[in-house]
Amino acid sequence: MTGFVDLYSEADTFLHKMDPRVKILAVLLISVLALILSTLYSLLVLLAFIFLLLFLARATLSRTVFALKFVLRFMVLIIVLWPIFDPAGNHVLGSLGPITITEQAIWRGVTSAARVGCLATVWYILLFTTSQRDLVRALVKLGVRFDIGLTLAISLRFLPTFSALVESIKDAQRARGLELGRGGLVKRARNYVAVLVPTIVSALKTADTLSLALQSRAYGARADRTYLRELKMRASDGIALGSLVAIFVLVASARLVLQVHI
Amino acid sequence: MIPGSSVASKEDAVISIRDLKFSYEGGVQALAGVNLDIKRGEYVAIVGGNGSGKTTLAKNIIGLLKSASGTVLVHGALASEQKIASLARVVGYAFQNPDHQLFCSSVSDEVRFGPRNQGIPEQEVERRMQHALEAMNLMALKDKPPLSLTLSARRRISIASVIAMDPQVLILDEPTTGLDMRESDDLMASIGGLNAEGRTIILITHDMKLVAKYAHRVVVMSEGRVVLDADPIGVFSDLDVLLSSKLVPPPVTRLAYRLSALGVPRNVLSPEELVFRLIQARGGAK
Repeated sequence: MTGFVDLYSEADTFLHKMDPRVKILAVLLISVLALILSTLYSLLVLLAFIFLLLFLARATLSRTVFALKFVLRFMVLIIVLWPIFDPAGNHVLGSLGPITITEQAIWRGVTSAARVGCLATVWYILLFTTSQRDLVRALVKLGVRFDIGLTLAISLRFLPTFSALVESIKDAQRARGLELGRGGLVKRARNYVAVLVPTIVSALKTADTLSLALQSRAYGARADRTYLRELKMRASDGIALGSLVAIFVLVASARLVLQVHI
Repeated sequence: MIPGSSVASKEDAVISIRDLKFSYEGGVQALAGVNLDIKRGEYVAIVGGNGSGKTTLAKNIIGLLKSASGTVLVHGALASEQKIASLARVVGYAFQNPDHQLFCSSVSDEVRFGPRNQGIPEQEVERRMQHALEAMNLMALKDKPPLSLTLSARRRISIASVIAMDPQVLILDEPTTGLDMRESDDLMASIGGLNAEGRTIILITHDMKLVAKYAHRVVVMSEGRVVLDADPIGVFSDLDVLLSSKLVPPPVTRLAYRLSALGVPRNVLSPEELVFRLIQARGGAK
């Protein structure tokens, strides 16, 4: 269960040690790259680069596939549906009634799927190599207000707790004869009230207790915060970010200013 | 008086567990081969330290967990092959935390929820609701919103909502946690009444005082196994097994241990009995 809500996996790789701020910026840059690249070949090059990072982060294939299960299904869906709804192109492979399948449309589908794959995998790498604490710390350092960062950190921290709570509540109601998966849509929705109400009540109680616990430990007593652990950019972080920015500027200007088709 | 010791044929076993093993995802083995027969009308306490497998065992009985190894027979039918909803007609389970199941706006609706799920006619639902509220001493709170009530009342409601489904067996998971002495005594008295109705009671607990006072049979679990299965007197005189199962006998029994030099026997379960034995021992000395 925890593996599902927290993708982070502890390891000692350069990606794990990288300054989380650099990682967030890098992932944003790569995401923009994936969106502006227009040919399948360049997207495949990008995807290969991302898979190299995945390999360097020591992510196993089975774990990655498990985490990106939904994305993979979505990619298959794109590849299947795209040619059906996109009749443009001159190399017609076949047609059935109003549906015309062209070779170009198939490639456009594959290209879009590759783009989705790039985006999903690169964000997965960020979450795989960065602990939630570091992620929030980096966001705060990048200018997000501390209380918002703390709220985000607490929400992430409580995701596994609440998913366990929901399971326990479901069990309790099943033992009272509730069958969650049965009946029509309305009946199912009504059945879920029996799970939702105890969940919300427990969540509110937890939130209440938590805010008291924070206050009793003098949260917010000083306006200017100090930090026990400061984030430090190391030389390798600078080099990584610098080279990525350079590649990004090169590709982006070629694509957007010179209108090169890459 | 002790149903466990009465002559009973095999058919009397409402629950029959054979070599039950269970491991959670991630490899933690919670049950390492449990054998247990529970007969109709028994009052059994399942005791053991945290992590000894008590709750896992209970969840296997009500079908919330399904083991790949070993069998659980409920009324002669395999629990793993039945739906939780149909098992709930035979075995009721009151969860440790009542707040995990309360969601209705009145106590009576909360209690009606179970039998309604079972598709029982409305007239019968009303009758069962009345009976369950009376059995758990809740009539005065009938129209109150459950979540606004005290922990003791919420726990009674959660038990009443299970009784309303009219199960032959009632499993209670730590029903007295967080209650004061008075509240737990009242609750245990109500549970005793349910046993007197003929229901089989399985009490999961840490509280040895409760066990000494109410249970007819005690099953001690440790590391996923049943290490001792006897009446309370038998269990509390086996100090070695108790201690190795992270359990301590009730205070009055411990006091009797200390007084053994004065000739007090070890198998004392209540203050009254201790006084009696002390007088007896002193009388014998003189």
